[in-house]
Amino acid sequence: MASREYRLIVEGELSDLIRFEGMALTHEDGNTVLTGYVQDQSMLHGLLTRVSDLGLTLLAVTAIDGHRVDKALGHRLA
Amino acid sequence: MPSARRGVVDRPRINGALDAGGDAALTLVSAPAGYGKTTAARAWCETVDAAVAWVTLDSRDDDPVRLWSYLATAVDRVRPGLGRNALQRLRVTHPSIEQVVDDLMNGIAALGSGLLLVLDDLHAVNDEECMISIDYALKRLPANARILMITRADPLLRLPWLRASGALTEVRAADLAFTTAEARELLVVRGGVKLGPEEIELLVERTEGWPAALVLASIWLRTIDDPTAAVRAFGGLHRFVADYLSSEVLAALDDDRRSLLQGAAVLGEFTADLCDAVLGRTDSAARLVELERANYFVLSLERGGWYRIHALFAEYARAELEALAPGSEVRILRRAAEWFQSRGKAVEAIEHFAAAGDYETVAQLLLDYHLPLIRGGSSGTLLRWARVLPDHVLVEHRKLAAIAAAASMQVGGGRMERRRLLRVAQRADDRRPDDSDPYVESLIQMVRSVTIDGGVDRAVRDGRRAVELAGSADEVLTGALGAYSRALFFAGDFEEATATALQIIEHPQVEHRTPSLVAACVTLALVAVEQGRLVAARRHAEKAREAARRIGISRSWLGGNAYAALGCVLAAEGDLAAAERELTSAEHLFADEVADLHHAWVLVVLARVRLRRGRLDTALVTLAAAQEALDHLPDSGIVTAVAGEVRRELDALQARVGSGEMLEQPSEAELGVLQLLASGLSTREIGERLFLSPNTIRTHRRTLYHKLSVHTSTDAVARATALGLLTQTESPR
Repeated sequence: MASREYRLIVEGELSDLIRFEGMALTHEDGNTVLTGYVQDQSMLHGLLTRVSDLGLTLLAVTAIDGHRVDKALGHRLA
Repeated sequence: MPSARRGVVDRPRINGALDAGGDAALTLVSAPAGYGKTTAARAWCETVDAAVAWVTLDSRDDDPVRLWSYLATAVDRVRPGLGRNALQRLRVTHPSIEQVVDDLMNGIAALGSGLLLVLDDLHAVNDEECMISIDYALKRLPANARILMITRADPLLRLPWLRASGALTEVRAADLAFTTAEARELLVVRGGVKLGPEEIELLVERTEGWPAALVLASIWLRTIDDPTAAVRAFGGLHRFVADYLSSEVLAALDDDRRSLLQGAAVLGEFTADLCDAVLGRTDSAARLVELERANYFVLSLERGGWYRIHALFAEYARAELEALAPGSEVRILRRAAEWFQSRGKAVEAIEHFAAAGDYETVAQLLLDYHLPLIRGGSSGTLLRWARVLPDHVLVEHRKLAAIAAAASMQVGGGRMERRRLLRVAQRADDRRPDDSDPYVESLIQMVRSVTIDGGVDRAVRDGRRAVELAGSADEVLTGALGAYSRALFFAGDFEEATATALQIIEHPQVEHRTPSLVAACVTLALVAVEQGRLVAARRHAEKAREAARRIGISRSWLGGNAYAALGCVLAAEGDLAAAERELTSAEHLFADEVADLHHAWVLVVLARVRLRRGRLDTALVTLAAAQEALDHLPDSGIVTAVAGEVRRELDALQARVGSGEMLEQPSEAELGVLQLLASGLSTREIGERLFLSPNTIRTHRRTLYHKLSVHTSTDAVARATALGLLTQTESPR
């Protein structure tokens, strides 16, 4: 499992008081964009849970480097 | 049941929605944080004509035994004796959860009058077996009972089915959102805030009726001279509502109350005593009661005297504290850790020291408590704590590095991490060669043996060395034996492997060494399969699974081994579909950067199962993945041989497909039809036998003819026999 850069968009502008570990926070069109490297899927889901716990509305989750196939785990595709 | 919160708006509309379920077995309240789910549920419970058994779940309850103990105890509180049978059964070594549920449902039925079972914070429970047991309970629910689930995320139950059959009532975010009328009740009538209908509507629109935000707003606006202007200004902002409102509320508080709330927010769960000790106060008890009454998100927990701050608000409170006075969070956590430690609460102490970054103390506590943690199934927790420790602390405490490596082995998925830990332990060893400790040495050898990095022969030697060293360190003996016996299995020395595994089972302390028991049973199962002793193999595999479940490690690397063992047994028994399920589950639990030999073994067996089920393509990919792992090792014992066998079977099949003898391997279903065609049954008779419609049978038959390039059933049987297809489904391995 490789680390990937992710981009999360949540509704509304969040102040920089609330920290999301390893993620940079910017505002765009009245929403908040969180960008950063996520070590693995468990960490991503931890982030998503945090978003939900804060009462935020999730608008988008995107992996930035595009889909990669990890060779050693290629058999998972089957 | 959680105690009442004063100043809370009555919501007859919500009560109506919950009542509308009538006799539906399940009522589900599903909405994100801050929607007032618990409040609404509690208020409704007071209106129902039934006894209420309420449990508030957290991650500790994410295990079937713990979950049902909690539920049975709650039911028993309604009337003593109702939960007795269930609780008694739960104390047995390997309780059958289904039977526990049956006992509890019978107990509830015996009550006669209505019972409402409430599961609050159900989202904390994710374990598959827990959800299966809850689903089972829903099926078995007696007529006098109903279940209310309160959750932040829809649970993995058969919700669509329940919806369709009318057995489900739902109250969701859209229902719980405040209407303008309810907002008016909250802000104007109860809150005393002077707002006109336009502003109320603006507020409701801006917050989308989100209750937490409206409560925050009501607290905030009470402190403002011109609420109308404030609301209009707020309405125009893009700022996330909870963010803005929490800041305003905190700003409007006097310093004393603010610092109490902030300190409490850092603590997580706390008592008035803890607050006093940590924040240097004497009045926490009175203040907390007051803040709770005034609705400042202070919540009483079921455990008498304990509170927590509503997480949403707490986040902001803590963030502000840190922003204004950096380092205060750490100071508070450290004082709390010392408070817990002085009261003998090791687990809470470790949590707080770790959160405070007090690594030396965490290391010391982990060393003191590692045995009960690992044996009790909490290797994951130990590892989580060990991970926050910087390298230099681990080097200082070499034993802890070795222990963490052992924990990592049990938990799985961290081969790189394990190597790192072993390196750290080695580095410490080089610095102080005279400080040799047989316990630590044995642990290191054991981990090396299980990892099988240097090939099977090497693993056998490492395992043997681990056992020798454990002669002077009994605590690690069963672990060492486990590693050694598995290495012996892979080397093909079945007799020694069995003898060694039996030593674990016969160890006087084996009841307290459950992880080693799992390892032993898995090895015995694998050997038994290879030797064709399937009854014994099944017994061992099931025992491994029960043991893993008992201490809650089913979803770890070690637990994956148990699934793999059962998968091997099922494959040998010929139940290919079930075998594939178990082996795939095991496979997911072995997730690692590069497959190790244990993983490769599972892949080889899985490849063979897939091959026999007619999935040529997936079998090829699976075998290729296994091969890649094997290529990394200097020697792989019996795995190489078996992989070779599977390769040959695959090649033979591919050759037949390639030469046009067969267009494509028939599927399992088609082979089933073929079998029956060969016995001369008609389409209708085959359909009856297989519980399929005649149309389906005809479709399978058509595809079969196409694949075999024939036009009649006689030809099909002849061609299939010539290709060896008709005897294949009966081979035992």
